[in-house]
Amino acid sequence: MRDPFTVLGVDEDAGDAEIRRRYLALVRDFPPDRAPDRFRDYRAAYEALSDERKRLETKLLRTNEAALSRLTVAALQASPSGPMTARATKRTIAALLADGITRIVTD
Amino acid sequence: MKKSQRRGPSPSVPLSTLAARAAEALQQERFKEAIELTKLVIRQDARPEWKESLAQAYCGRARALAARGMFKEAAIVLENTLAPDGTVRDSRLYVTCLIRDGQQPKAAAYLLHCIGSESALPAGERAALEELTAALLLAVPQLPQPARAAPPEPSRWRELATVSRAAMAAWIDGASAEEMDRHLNRISLRSAFRPVRLLLRSLTAMPRDAERTRQVLETIQPSSPFFPFRQAMEAAVPGARALDADGWSRLTPAQQAFVAETSGLPAAAAQFLARSAEAARGGPAVLFAYLLKQPDLPQADVRSACLNLLPRIPDRIPQFEKSFGPLSGLERHRVKALAAEARGDWESAEQSWLRAAETIGHPDADRQARLSQGVIFRHLARLAALHPEMEGGDIFDDPVIFYLERSRQADPEHIPAVLELIGQYRKQALPKDWHRLADEAVERFPEDSQVLLAATESAVARKAYKKAVGFARRLLKINSINPGVRRQMIELQVAHARKQMRSKRPDLAAKDLSGAAEWERPDAPSPLLRIARGLVGLQTDRKEQAETWLREGVELAGGGVAGWFLAWLEAELMKCAPGDIGRLRQELANASGTPPTKQAVMAIVAALTQPEAGDNKRLVAGLPVGVRAWLLQAAAIDWSAAEFQALAETLVRLEAFDLLQDYARVARQREPANPDLRFHEIVARTRNNGNLVTMAETDALVAIAEAAARREDFHAARRIGRFLDGNRRLSVGRRRSAAALPDADHDDVVEDFIEAMMDDMARRSAEGIRGLVGDFGREGAAVQLLEQLRSSPLGPTMPEPMLREFCQAMVAKAMEGCRPKHAEAVRRSRF
Repeated sequence: MRDPFTVLGVDEDAGDAEIRRRYLALVRDFPPDRAPDRFRDYRAAYEALSDERKRLETKLLRTNEAALSRLTVAALQASPSGPMTARATKRTIAALLADGITRIVTD
Repeated sequence: MKKSQRRGPSPSVPLSTLAARAAEALQQERFKEAIELTKLVIRQDARPEWKESLAQAYCGRARALAARGMFKEAAIVLENTLAPDGTVRDSRLYVTCLIRDGQQPKAAAYLLHCIGSESALPAGERAALEELTAALLLAVPQLPQPARAAPPEPSRWRELATVSRAAMAAWIDGASAEEMDRHLNRISLRSAFRPVRLLLRSLTAMPRDAERTRQVLETIQPSSPFFPFRQAMEAAVPGARALDADGWSRLTPAQQAFVAETSGLPAAAAQFLARSAEAARGGPAVLFAYLLKQPDLPQADVRSACLNLLPRIPDRIPQFEKSFGPLSGLERHRVKALAAEARGDWESAEQSWLRAAETIGHPDADRQARLSQGVIFRHLARLAALHPEMEGGDIFDDPVIFYLERSRQADPEHIPAVLELIGQYRKQALPKDWHRLADEAVERFPEDSQVLLAATESAVARKAYKKAVGFARRLLKINSINPGVRRQMIELQVAHARKQMRSKRPDLAAKDLSGAAEWERPDAPSPLLRIARGLVGLQTDRKEQAETWLREGVELAGGGVAGWFLAWLEAELMKCAPGDIGRLRQELANASGTPPTKQAVMAIVAALTQPEAGDNKRLVAGLPVGVRAWLLQAAAIDWSAAEFQALAETLVRLEAFDLLQDYARVARQREPANPDLRFHEIVARTRNNGNLVTMAETDALVAIAEAAARREDFHAARRIGRFLDGNRRLSVGRRRSAAALPDADHDDVVEDFIEAMMDDMARRSAEGIRGLVGDFGREGAAVQLLEQLRSSPLGPTMPEPMLREFCQAMVAKAMEGCRPKHAEAVRRSRF
C-alpha cells in the first residue's frame, strides 16, 4: 500500500477532522465512477489514518514518505502562478510518445 | 563440439502418417515439432492446406516465444510467414514483438507498408493500429524511407506524418500561436494524427482557456497511445487543484519531466524534482545520499525523510547520526526492528520491538506513549501468529496471547484487541480466561455490540442462561434484527428444554420453549423451535397444537428425510417416549423413499455437527436402516470437493467409517484421478488410525500431501500430515491448553506429576540442558530431552503430552535467571 499521508496529502500531525475533510475533498474531485483506482487508494489511505491508533500504527510500523512529500510539494509550489508558457524538450516529447506506444503493446 | 544429429522420422514414413503427426503436434501446441514435421510434408507435397498449417505453427511458436519474453526471436519466427505483399501472418503480434524489442523504426516501417494492404490489418483492430502507426511515425528519429512506386495510401500517411512532425518541432521551438495554427490546419482531423492536432492546439490555447482545453483532451481515450501525453498535459494545466505529491508520484518520469519543463519552475526546484525522482528510482541508498547533500532544503524534513529510509539501509545509521545527531532510543530500535522484519529475522525483530516498547515508557507514561506501546504489542501478536520462531513471554505462553495481554495492559480501551484476545482464549481452549475477559469487557464497554455478542457467546458456552439473556436483550436494543443472537438464544433455550425433558419435566420444558418463542421473528421462524415445541407438546395435553408445530417445523427444515431426521434427532436428544420416537422413525422411513438431494444431506450433516448431537455417536450407530440406505444412495451425488470434505469430516467425527468408505469408493469410481478420495478411502479403512496405514499407503499419502503442497492446498497437506502422525501432533512450547491434552480433566494430575518430576531436577545437570539450548534453541532442547525420555523406561508409561510438557518445564527451569544475558549468548551462538 502506498504511503497514506502522501496519498491524502496531509501532514503526519493532522487530526481526525482535517484528514476527513481532505478525504472528502479528494473523493469529490475523483469520484469512484470516474476514477475507481484513485478512489480505492484514497479509501485505503483514509482507513489507515481514520483514528488516532491507526495513525500511530502507520507512523510506527511503516516507513512513510510524508517528509519527502513535503519537500516535493514545496518544489512544485515554486512554479509561477501565471499561464503555462514554457515548452517541453524534444527528448521529453519523444519519451511521452514512447510511454504511450509501450503501454499499448504491453496491455 | 560435434553437432548432435537431429532425430526425425525416417524417409520411409508414409506422407499420410507424417501429415497426421504434424496435425497432432499442431493441435497439441507442440509448435516446434509441428513446424519440423510440416516442413517435411511440404517438401514431398506442397499442398496449400499444409502451407497454411505451417503458417499456423509459426504463429503459435511466435506466441509461445513472446509469452516467455523472447520478442526478438518471436519476430524472426513470424518473418517466416512473410507473404508476397510484404505482410506477415499476425501483424499485431509482429509489431508488438518489434516494439518490445526496441525496434521502433522497423515497426513504423512495417506498419506504414501495411497501411495500404487490406488483408494485413484485421478490421476490428484497424483503428487502434492506425493510431499506433501515427504515434510511431512521430516518435521515431526519422521517417522510414519510401518504397519504390509506393501506393497512394502510404504516401498520404507520410505527408501527414511530415506535417505533424513539423508542427511538433515548431511548438518545441517556441512558435507563436499564429504560426502553430498554420501548422495544425494542415493536419486532418479525420486522420489518425488527430490527437496530435488536439494536443498541440491545447498546448497553444491552454493559457487562454484551461476548461476548454480539458474538454478537448477528454476526447483522447485511455486506449490511445497519446493518452500519457494527455495525462501529462492535464497535470500541467493550471487548474483549481494544484498538483500535490501524490499526483506527482502517479506521473511517469516522462510526464514529470513534461510538467517540470512546461510549468516554468525555477531551476533549483526543477532540478530537485528531477534528481530526487531519479534518486528514488535508484533505490533508498541513492536517495539517502542525495538528500544528505541538500543543505538548502528544510533540515527537519530532510532528517525525517532520511529516517524513514533507514529501515531499508540500516548500515547508514552512522552516516545519519553524523549528519543529524544521535537517534533517539525509540527511533533506533524501530529502525532495527523494521530492518530485521525486512530480512525475515523475526527473533531480532521481536527483541528490537520489545526494546522500543520499553523505551517508550513506563506504566505512568502519557496517553500517546501507552497507545504506542499497545500498537507495538499488537504488531508483535500479529507477527507471532505468522512466525513460530517468536518466543513471547516464556516457553509455556502462547506468544499471541502473551502480546495481546500486554497490549491490553498498555491500552485497555482498544476494543478490537480485547475481542481478539477473547477469540484467542476461546480458540486455545482456555475457558476460564475466555469467560473472565468476556465479563470484564462487557462491564467496561456495555454499549458495544461486538463486545455484547462475545459476552453472549461466553454466557451461552458456560450455560449461564440468565446472563446470556441479559446480554442478548441489550444487544437487540442496539441492533434489533441481529439474527445470529436470536438463533443462539433459541438454541440455548431449546438445549435447556431438552434437559428438562430428560428429567421428565415437560411442563418446565414447555415454559422454556415459550420463552424461546419470544426470540423468534415472525419473518424468520425457527424449524428447531417448532419441532421442539411439537415434541414437548406431545407429552402434554396440547396434542393437536403439538402436531401442527411438529409438521410446521419439519416443513421449515426442508421436509422429507431432512425434516423428519431433524425431528427424530431432537426426539432422541430429549429422550422422548419410545412410542413417539418409533412414530418418527416410521415417518423418516416413509420419507426415505424419495431420492436424496445435496441440500437434504447437507442439512443432516449440519444437524449432526451441533454440539449435543456430535458428541453422541450412539445416534449415528442407531440411524434407522432406511436412512442409512438413503445416505448410501447419496454417495452417487456429484459432490464438490468442499462438500465432500465437510461430509467426510462429519462421518469421521461420528465414526461412521462404513459410510465414509462407500462414499469414497463411489466417488473414486466417478473421479479415479482425484487423490483426495484415495486419502478418505484409507482413513475409512484404517478407522482414522494412522498407525494402521500400510507402507504402500504411506507412500501414496506422502505423494498426495506433496502434490497438495505444490498446488498450495496447505489444508489438505496438513490434514494428511496429521493423519500420518497418528493424530498425535500436539502444540509444542505453547501455553498448556485443554485442546492439546487428551483429557483436559486430568490437568491437575499432570501438574502434580510435573511438580514431582521437577523436584528431581537437581539430579540432572542444568548446565547440560543449557548446553542443549545453546545448540538447538529452547524448543529444540525440549525435543532432544523428549527423545531421551521416550527411550527411557519411563517413556512408554507416560502420555505424550505429559512428556512434552515435562521436557519444556525442565528447559524453562534450567534457563531461569539466564535471560537476557544467557539468552543473548544462545541467540548469538546459533549464527
